[in-house]
Amino acid sequence: MLLGVDVGGTFTDAVLLVDGRVLTAKAPTTPADQSEGVLAAVRAVLSRAGAPAEAVTAFSHGMTVATNALLEGRGARTAHVLTEGFTDLVALGRQNRPELYRLCAAWPEPLVPAQLRFPAPERTGPDGPLRELSEADAERVAEAVARAGVQAVAVTLLHAYRHPGHERRLGRALRARLGEEVALSLSHEVVGTVREYERAATTEVDAALSPLLAGYLRRLAGRCEDAGLPEPTIMQSSGGLIDLSSAAAHAAWTVLSGPAGGAAGAAHVARAAGTPDALCFDMGGTSCDVCVVDAGTVQEQGAGSIADRPLALPMVAVHTVGAGGGSIAWRDAGGVLRVGPRSAGADPGPACYGRGGTDPTVTDANLVLGRLASDAPLAGEVTLDLDAARRSVEWLAAALDLSPRECAAGIIRVADAEMLRALRVVTVQRGIDPRGYALLAFGGAGGLHAAAIAAELGIEEIICPSASGVLAALGLVVSPRRRDAQRSVLLTGDGLTGEAIAAVTTELGERARRELGDPRAGLAAVYELRYRGQSFELGVPGDLTPTPGWLRKRFEASHEERYGYRDADGELELVTIRVSATIPGPELTAEAGAGDGELIRSRRRVWLGGEEVAAEILRGLPAPGLTFAGPAIVELPESTLLAPRGWAGEVDAGATIHLRQTGR
Amino acid sequence: MDPVELQVVIGALHAACEEMGAVLIRSAHSANIKERRDASTALFAPTGEMVMQAEHIPVHLGAMPAAVAAVRDQEHVPGRSWILNDPYRGGTHLPDITVITPVFAADEIVAFAASRAHHADVGGPTPGSMPADSTTLADEGVVIEPQVLDDEAIERLVAQMRRPDERRADLRAQLAAARVGATRIGELVERVGSDGVREVYREVLDYAERRTRACLAQLSDHGRQVWRARDVLEAREGDLTICCKATLRGDAIVLDFTGTGPQHPGNLNCPLSVTRSACLFAIRVLTDPDIPANAGAMRPIEVIAPPGCLLNARAPAAVVGGNVETSSRVADVVLGAFGRALGQGTMNNLTLGDQDTVYYETIGGGQGACPDRDGPSGVHVAMSNTLNTPIEALELAYPMRIVEYSLRRDSGGAGRRRGGDGVVREIEALVALRYSLITERRRHAPRGAAGGSDGAPGRNLLDGRELPAKSIGDLAPGQRLRIETPGGGGLGNPAKAGRLT
Repeated sequence: MLLGVDVGGTFTDAVLLVDGRVLTAKAPTTPADQSEGVLAAVRAVLSRAGAPAEAVTAFSHGMTVATNALLEGRGARTAHVLTEGFTDLVALGRQNRPELYRLCAAWPEPLVPAQLRFPAPERTGPDGPLRELSEADAERVAEAVARAGVQAVAVTLLHAYRHPGHERRLGRALRARLGEEVALSLSHEVVGTVREYERAATTEVDAALSPLLAGYLRRLAGRCEDAGLPEPTIMQSSGGLIDLSSAAAHAAWTVLSGPAGGAAGAAHVARAAGTPDALCFDMGGTSCDVCVVDAGTVQEQGAGSIADRPLALPMVAVHTVGAGGGSIAWRDAGGVLRVGPRSAGADPGPACYGRGGTDPTVTDANLVLGRLASDAPLAGEVTLDLDAARRSVEWLAAALDLSPRECAAGIIRVADAEMLRALRVVTVQRGIDPRGYALLAFGGAGGLHAAAIAAELGIEEIICPSASGVLAALGLVVSPRRRDAQRSVLLTGDGLTGEAIAAVTTELGERARRELGDPRAGLAAVYELRYRGQSFELGVPGDLTPTPGWLRKRFEASHEERYGYRDADGELELVTIRVSATIPGPELTAEAGAGDGELIRSRRRVWLGGEEVAAEILRGLPAPGLTFAGPAIVELPESTLLAPRGWAGEVDAGATIHLRQTGR
Repeated sequence: MDPVELQVVIGALHAACEEMGAVLIRSAHSANIKERRDASTALFAPTGEMVMQAEHIPVHLGAMPAAVAAVRDQEHVPGRSWILNDPYRGGTHLPDITVITPVFAADEIVAFAASRAHHADVGGPTPGSMPADSTTLADEGVVIEPQVLDDEAIERLVAQMRRPDERRADLRAQLAAARVGATRIGELVERVGSDGVREVYREVLDYAERRTRACLAQLSDHGRQVWRARDVLEAREGDLTICCKATLRGDAIVLDFTGTGPQHPGNLNCPLSVTRSACLFAIRVLTDPDIPANAGAMRPIEVIAPPGCLLNARAPAAVVGGNVETSSRVADVVLGAFGRALGQGTMNNLTLGDQDTVYYETIGGGQGACPDRDGPSGVHVAMSNTLNTPIEALELAYPMRIVEYSLRRDSGGAGRRRGGDGVVREIEALVALRYSLITERRRHAPRGAAGGSDGAPGRNLLDGRELPAKSIGDLAPGQRLRIETPGGGGLGNPAKAGRLT
């Protein structure tokens, strides 16, 4: 039996895979100590299965402990040792201000304050040490750090991605002086790539968050042992699982643990549904996450940022747009209808939640138009108050001189346009043409907006899993175990040879396999390449022994696809090599996701596309093989899917709903 | 147009400009555009009115319309783009090259797509084309009068510049950006027709005008209608005065620079387009940056600068410092008039190079304190917002070494709200290099306001010996340039801050 547990903002979801069947359960999330909610969800799903904890053979876990700490700027008391003359690197950032015209808007404060930044008397250049760091120097630095009384230490020295000797020497001195209890993060180990600010900031996050994360994981491991469960593996930002003690030592690897589980679940659904190229669109209460699945695999990026802090580590490429069901509609000073960026969130939530919210939100508009049902609780939890929604919309409609219905329809249109605007830029930046992709809609509200967005993007097929809420937990169960190792090599000209590449990939591959604990784990590489002089790289996936000619061919094809030109005379530079060792997750058959097939069919008047229509309503879990034609609304247990006129639906063997455009 | 449709088209136009910017940045070759994002993209109505702009760099804000005006009345055919950089015919300073493409639907022009990018070199005697000692435009690089941009023109122009391969790629990236803009406008025309598109433009411009007027009407403090301020620029020959009288007329504003000194023999001169950009920047800071930056938003703002003065210079005055430094001072004088504490007021332009290498950077400093919070430290404060070049990337690519890069502690002015601290950046030449420094606020400190202290003025040092604000010279291997950038002014009486310096 395989177990996956994902901690979300409101609920902790558990998925149990028993003899090819998927069982699910949920429990309220317990923010003070997420492990309580995790165990509650586990007990619930085991009792559904009627199985003892000992029957669980593998347990994978996605959580938001590191994410939340970072969003709140909360970390352990941490020292950062940097090359002398450069101790303010993280505070200086990239010297741009976050907003052009709000002059005092500021980036988040560094996690390490000025008095805990320590200079290392050394300097290393691109070709090696220029000023030696002696053992005695390293010990003096360690002594100064020890006197500051910290729980964690980060070390970032210039050019350490290529010449790590001084960082290692400092690491040994710090470990010897501070003992095993203090978290220690060396930039060449944690990150390993060129560009000092991003490497330093990531190393700082790693050090400052690890004591918090380790504390949580220790509690969780203890509870699991008491309950007779196996030790959980932990989801990383990259979409692969690692063992618990590695995760505890390197918090920076799991900062996007939650979204990575969701993306893995989306990729699984896309593969199982036979649409391996999908633009995934996860719309919830406060925001909307977008990611791209190519040939069944979630697109990754070598680096990204979270809460305005850079993270120079591989991660699933999830782009967040601030538009969700709770986004508030308002009239601006120019008399125009706007939606967001302010959100009613979950508390008080949309007006229709009846918790004191009075501003009209996207969810209220959906309810007023009949696109959401007023006679069934949302996600089985919140009873919706249609009158409250109407009142909120009427007030805004009067201010805009529109009828309430026009106003509600307008809120939906403007929200769709906001999401479309973000999706356009994301697709350019990712270099994809959305017309070749399916739109995978999930999250509570994704299905309500998918058809309008698909039509604008020229997408002809929408897929929607019937069990949307547990997608992330399902993703955890099917994810591979994975370990990454990366290093900037900056090979160019005569230095860029097959032998030079193979020497690095062999070393990184051995390290990744060793850290994963499996000498036969599969290895794959990504080569971050650019034309010399460019300052952005393009990742080219490949095996471990590519020739420079092959890399050039793949890079140029990719460059042309994304940027519209290739430069036959440009010199190729291999900036970074990343090797991942993976052990694949279990393959689920399509049937494994099927639900129970209870369905109630009825009709309701719904305002759609500027007219009132009698839409077919399908409430419950549709069985495989079911077909329907728009206008229709499928009210799934945790989400709603809208099929306008001109779209036809069909449920596949895995209970995933396919909507296809049939023409008008 | 109803309030829903209007917001949807505003969003669509904004998305189109952002997409153009994404394409330009992703396809360009030079670090200047890709990494520092020194570029802007915009869409214009056939009348030449700017309808929407994706803003990356404020100094481009009000200056793009002049470029489109310079080519609008030419004979246009589909697929034929235009190029210019002449500051007196639509440009700002020579490194900023603008590419303009007419967008056709059937055989009628429905829009112009424009992009402006700061190229790392546009020829002339000084590598990087940012000389500190230029006295005429010809000293600053190749002057491109408005002309057709075809393959022949690309080859002819890039042959006169350093790194022609990079220049060629950057120009192609600008053309690629225009193609995306044209595609999106084409889709809009398909949906609403070409008459519909004109109505869209009109509505979007009126909307921005409405919102700007609503904000301007609230600028008046207790019925006050006139504000005055003066400030100085640090020219080689002495201080140059800038005067501003701001007059609020109901919901419109007049910024009158009469009394400002005449254009000077150095390069701190501004064409009027740059002066306008700086004024619009300051007004945007004082009003609401959520308003679309278009011709409508500019209607209630009148900028007066007498011809021949520093802020409305005549050809062939040199202008390279005007764009980067005088523009900051114009913004300062407007913000100062309205009681704001001032930021570092300079971009600290440093160019290092020889015949093989050109390296240009600008350095952040202290922001002036705001009424609600301290001024941030080590950031670009006004007309620029470019990224720094990573030290490791710089040392891998250029024959120089960074000796120190840190915050310049306590350089920000004290106050109820503190000014931000400046930056220390010290660079050692590893080979013989020529340097060019265009900096400001070395003799005069960024001013605090309402009882707040001034920020510390900046310093330029060569091996410990102080250099003037504008200087040019040679570094022998091993010699070091140290730039200490100014701190921002504080705001309010520091005794009330609860912490003093």
